[in-house]
Amino acid sequence: MSLLVAPLALLWPAAAVAALADGRRRATGWAAVAVLAAAVALLAALAVRVAADGPVEVVAGGWPADVGIRLRADALGVVMALVSVAVVLAALVHGVVSGLSPRLFPALMLFLSVGLNGLFLTGDVFSFYVFFELAMISGYALSALGGEGRMVGSALIFAVVNLLGSFLFLIATAALYRATGTLEMLAVADRARGIDPNTAVVIAVLYFVAFGVKLGLFPFHFWLPSVYGSALPAVTAVLAGALANIGAYGLLRFEAGLLPRELALGGGVLVGIGTVSIIYGAVQAIGRRDAREVLAYSAIGHAGYVLVALGVGGRVALAAAALFTVVNALGKALLFLAVDLRGPLVGAAFAVGAFSVAGVPPFAGFFGKAALFDAGIQAGSAAAVALLFVGGALTFVYLFQIYQHTYWRPGQGTQRASAGARAVVAAVAVVVLVVGLWPEPLLALSDQAGAALTRMAS
Amino acid sequence: MNLFLALVVAVLFGTGATLLLKPDLFRVVVGLVLIANAASLTVIASGLRRGQAPIQPLVEGEPVSDPLTQAMTLTALIIGFAVTALLLAMAYRVYTTHRSVDLDDLARSERRAEEELERGVPVEHDETEAAAENQVSR
Repeated sequence: MSLLVAPLALLWPAAAVAALADGRRRATGWAAVAVLAAAVALLAALAVRVAADGPVEVVAGGWPADVGIRLRADALGVVMALVSVAVVLAALVHGVVSGLSPRLFPALMLFLSVGLNGLFLTGDVFSFYVFFELAMISGYALSALGGEGRMVGSALIFAVVNLLGSFLFLIATAALYRATGTLEMLAVADRARGIDPNTAVVIAVLYFVAFGVKLGLFPFHFWLPSVYGSALPAVTAVLAGALANIGAYGLLRFEAGLLPRELALGGGVLVGIGTVSIIYGAVQAIGRRDAREVLAYSAIGHAGYVLVALGVGGRVALAAAALFTVVNALGKALLFLAVDLRGPLVGAAFAVGAFSVAGVPPFAGFFGKAALFDAGIQAGSAAAVALLFVGGALTFVYLFQIYQHTYWRPGQGTQRASAGARAVVAAVAVVVLVVGLWPEPLLALSDQAGAALTRMAS
Repeated sequence: MNLFLALVVAVLFGTGATLLLKPDLFRVVVGLVLIANAASLTVIASGLRRGQAPIQPLVEGEPVSDPLTQAMTLTALIIGFAVTALLLAMAYRVYTTHRSVDLDDLARSERRAEEELERGVPVEHDETEAAAENQVSR
C-alpha cells in the first residue's frame, strides 16, 4: 500500500469504530491516541519522501489518470497535513489524560484527522470540498461538546457562519468547473489562464471569502472570539492549530496556485485587509483581560500576516506564508493547551509558546517571522517590514500581559491540573523548541512549496 | 434554461440570506438549508447540456450529458442533509437550556449573568446548567 493512502486507510476505519465505542472509557481514548500517533508517523515518513523525491501521486481505485480521483502530496500539502494532525494528536492526548468525558470526543477527533489528512493531500477540487466538510462538521460538533447553553450557542454561530463559507466555496467550485471543464487541480491551473477574466475574478473573490471566513480574517472574524472563548481547551487548540490551517492552505492553493493572475490583480486589496486584520487583532487583544479572548484576537491578527504575504506574492512570500502558518499553528496550539493550567512547568511552556508566537529566536515562530521579513525586504516594501515589526512588538505586549496575569499572580487558579496534562503541554513546548533549533527540514519543505506554487502559476 | 436556473438560484440564495439575518435560530437554520440548496442547484446548472443518459452502452456520435455534476450534487445534498441534522440538534440543545431560540434573548440573559457575576451575586442557574458546571469542574 502506498505511503500516501496509508494514513487515510488507517484513520478512516478507526474513526468509524471509535464512533461505535464508548469514548468515556480511558481505553477507547488511548486506542485513538495510538492510531493517531501511527498516522502522524506515516505522515512524517511521507514528508521525508516528498522532501527527497518531490510530489507523490496515486489515482484512487486504479482508474486511468484522467478519470479517477487523484490523491497528491506535494510539499505544501504534506507539511500542513503533518503539522495539523500532530496538533490534533497533542490535543487528543491532552483531552484523554485530563479525563475529558464526552462520549464522542475520540471519534470526532479521528474524523477530524481524516478530513484534514484528505483535504491537504488531494489533487481534486471536489474531494477537497468533501474532506473539508468532514473536518469542519467534526469541528462544529467538537466545539459544542460537553457544554450547555452559552457554549452551544456560540458553536451554532460558528457552524452557521462557516457553513455559509462552505456553500460559497461550493458555488465557486461549480463556476470553476463550468469555466474550465475539469476538477483536477493541475489541469485547472493550466486552463484557468484561458478563461474569461470577469468569470475568473468572481471565482477568485468567492474563494477568498470562503477561506477568509475559515481563517477568521478581519471582516469575517466575528464568530471567532466567542467560540475560542467558550470551547474546551483541547478543542480550542484544534480549532486554532489545525482547522485554521485550512483557511491559509485554501488561500495558498486556490488563489496563489490556481488563480494567480487574479491574485496579482487583488494584491493591494489583500495587503490592505491583512494590515487592518493585524492592527485590529493586536489592538483588541491588548484591550482584553481574559486570556482566551486575548489569544482569539491574536489569531485574527496572525491571519493577517498570511494575507499580507499572499498580497506581496512571489516565491519567497508564498514560502513565507506556508512556513508562518505552520509554526504559528504550533505556537497557538501550545498557548491554548497551556492557558487553563497552572504551575511552574506550564508557565515555562506558556512562555515558550509566547516567545514563539511573538517571533523570538530560538523558538519555531522566529523562522516564520524571519521569512516574512525576508519577503518584505525582497519585495522592497518598507511598509510591510514596518508593519511586521509593529505587529511583532504588539504581540509581545499582549502575550506578556496575560503571562503576568495568569502566572505571576499568587493564589490564582488554585485547582492544579493533572500531571499528565502538564506533561503534554511540556512535550509540545519541547517540539516548538526543537523545530526552532533545527528548522532546516521545515525551511526546505516550505521553500519547495513556494517554488511549486509559483511554477503552477507560470 | 440557464437564465431560469440562475433566477431560481438567486431567489433561493436571497431568501436564505434574509432568513440568516433573523434572530430566531430555527429561521437561521432554514436559511442555511435554502442556501445549501441554492449551491446544489448551481452545481447542477454548471453541467447543463443536452445529451443521452451517460449509461453504457452509449450510442455512437451523440452527445452525452454530464454525469459528474449529478454525482457532485448528490454528495453536496448528503452533506447538506447531515449539516441540517447537526444544526437542528444544536438549536434544540440551546432551546432546552434557555427555553428560547431567540438570539436577542440569549444575548440578554448572558449579559445579565455577567453583570450579576461582577456584582458578586450568585447567578441563578437552572438545574441542567448547574449539572454541566459540576461535570466540567470535576
